[in-house]
Amino acid sequence: MVDEAHNSTAQTAISTAKATPAISARHVNFAFGEGDLQKQILFDINLEVATGEIVLLTGPSGSGKTTLLTLIGALRKVRDGELDVLGHHLHDASLEELVEVRREIGFIFQQHNLLPFLTARQNVQLMFHLHPEVSPDDASRLTAELLTSVGLGHRLDYYPARLSGGQKQRVAIARALAANPKLILADEPTAALDSQSGRDVVNLLQELARGRGCPILMVTHDPRILDVADRIINMEDGRVHPGEK
Amino acid sequence: MYSAFFVAWCQLTYNKVKLAVAAAGVVVAVMLMLVQLGIRRGAMDNSVAVARRVTADLVIVSPRTKTIFASAQFPRRLLYRVGSDPNVLAISEMYMGQGRLRNPWNKLEFPVSLYGVDPSAGMMELPGIERFTEELNDLDRLLYDGMSRTNYGPIKQYLAENGSLDVEVNLRKVRLINSIDVGISINTDGNLFTSPVNFLRLFPDRKPGSVDMGLIRLRPGADTQAVQDSLRQYVGTEAKILTREELVAAEIVFIRENAPIDFIFGMGAAVGFFIGFVVVYQILYTEVTNHLPQYATMKAMGFSDRYLLQVVLSQSVILAFLGYLPGFVLALGLYRVATKAIQMQFSMTVERALFVFALTIVMCGLSAMIAIRKVRTADPADVF
Ligand SMILES: Nc1ncnc2c1ncn2[C@@H]1O[C@H](COP(=O)(O)OP(=O)(O)OP(=O)(O)O)[C@@H](O)[C@H]1O
Ligand SMILES: [Mg+2]
Repeated sequence: MVDEAHNSTAQTAISTAKATPAISARHVNFAFGEGDLQKQILFDINLEVATGEIVLLTGPSGSGKTTLLTLIGALRKVRDGELDVLGHHLHDASLEELVEVRREIGFIFQQHNLLPFLTARQNVQLMFHLHPEVSPDDASRLTAELLTSVGLGHRLDYYPARLSGGQKQRVAIARALAANPKLILADEPTAALDSQSGRDVVNLLQELARGRGCPILMVTHDPRILDVADRIINMEDGRVHPGEK
Repeated sequence: MYSAFFVAWCQLTYNKVKLAVAAAGVVVAVMLMLVQLGIRRGAMDNSVAVARRVTADLVIVSPRTKTIFASAQFPRRLLYRVGSDPNVLAISEMYMGQGRLRNPWNKLEFPVSLYGVDPSAGMMELPGIERFTEELNDLDRLLYDGMSRTNYGPIKQYLAENGSLDVEVNLRKVRLINSIDVGISINTDGNLFTSPVNFLRLFPDRKPGSVDMGLIRLRPGADTQAVQDSLRQYVGTEAKILTREELVAAEIVFIRENAPIDFIFGMGAAVGFFIGFVVVYQILYTEVTNHLPQYATMKAMGFSDRYLLQVVLSQSVILAFLGYLPGFVLALGLYRVATKAIQMQFSMTVERALFVFALTIVMCGLSAMIAIRKVRTADPADVF
């Protein structure tokens, strides 16, 4: 679907990483603020996501889903508990190591946050700056293929301002997938989209991830997309409730 | 491949209006800096132009002389003493004074600089004066500087058409026999040249036997420094002996200390720098602020702070280049206009061009450094 190089690396990733889960959280606590103003948000989080798994994270507003996602995405430091992501111990990683880990993860945000002054093609291609091992020729070929596979082959040189919301989110997905991530983290990727384009985006994500055996952890409130999940985890008041199949 | 520079270029050129404003700010800054520094240099060069015209090997001036435009006199007999030194080939006296020339057309008097030099001595670069050696020795005959300002009337044209013109200088009737092109300066609107004898007839109040400057030509092969030292014994404390270079240097010191040239034009250049700095800072800062969510997203994707800093710095360097080139060309144009308008020579020097380019880079770089602090506040955890 995307290309062979991608598929074969994904295959090896599966076989070597089968034993260790992509995400493994043990007794993770998290609080915002310091001293008296400290407010604990996450309580004793225990969680595993295996390679190739698609896990949805649901729960009421303010229950700590986004906070948990930022911890897993190496965007915040873990101070209490142990959190392993893609084989890295995030609980005792330096900032440089955290930045390294981020490069292995594909992020999809509620807001697409594309750079407005770069075209769709350039936005995706920018990711390859972080992966100098990919040759420029391969990078531009992969970019075009990815954008074509998310249905934007005819919008390669459009600036974000001239794309619809769904199209922008699809560019963001292409960008998240460009550098062949080992894990995809998504926070309400469909919230800004109408039901049809939301559905399309999720299908696309599922299809692309399945093809590569790439695990997905997705926060969503959207009941229409629950069917893509292998497992659904529910959060309430900063605690994880046992998942259901 | 997708270098920070490329991203910076895309970001800057995406909004053409913003780019034009930013570049215009740098253009104005560059132009101001080049023009102000150019005028400073022009004014300085211009003020020492007379000193630079001296071609003698050594000069004698009064120890009280601070500038040749307001020279003190010293006794002429010192010249004869100095002339007895075997290393001295020739010696020549020189007089300078401020007089008044009446415009023959509108009868108004205007200040004018008068020079009394031996036309055949060849110790001062006054192009063509030697051709009039004979005539200038006749009584009350003067040469007019063809580059003088127009307040004196169309004297140059008149001389060219009619050969000579009778005018009034210091309330005395004299005859202008021709004109030579020498050049005026900040200090004077016009020049008249004549022989020492005629000069003294125009300044009857002067103490007889005192001169403004002595010009010395040494024998070929003489060691200027050594002769300068040995000549000191002849003049004692009554006069100073300077080399040509020392004369010019003393003139520069005098101007630095007494005319606010450095201050005024240095200030002008500083204002230019400041304008450029503020405009570039403003543009870069709003660019960063407006794109903070995008920058945070890039950090979340694994771009380092350093990469984003490079993006902002690259933008400032691009602005520096985009602003410098047109600013440079405009400054050249202004030099030409100014040269024509105020009859003062302004020219670009390589050093000034490079110096202002360096200032431009520093100006843009500093703006970027400050704007960059904002980049650090982009928190990748805030993007979700
Ligand atoms: N930067 C912060 N500083 C302090 N408190 C915060 C911060 N971010 C979030 N919180 C608090 O942490 C709690 C959990 O927030 P979080 O964003 O993780 O919830 P969520 O489950 O993602 O909610 P939603 O479904 O509305 O997005 C909230 O009570 C919120 O007020
Ligand atoms: Mg949230």
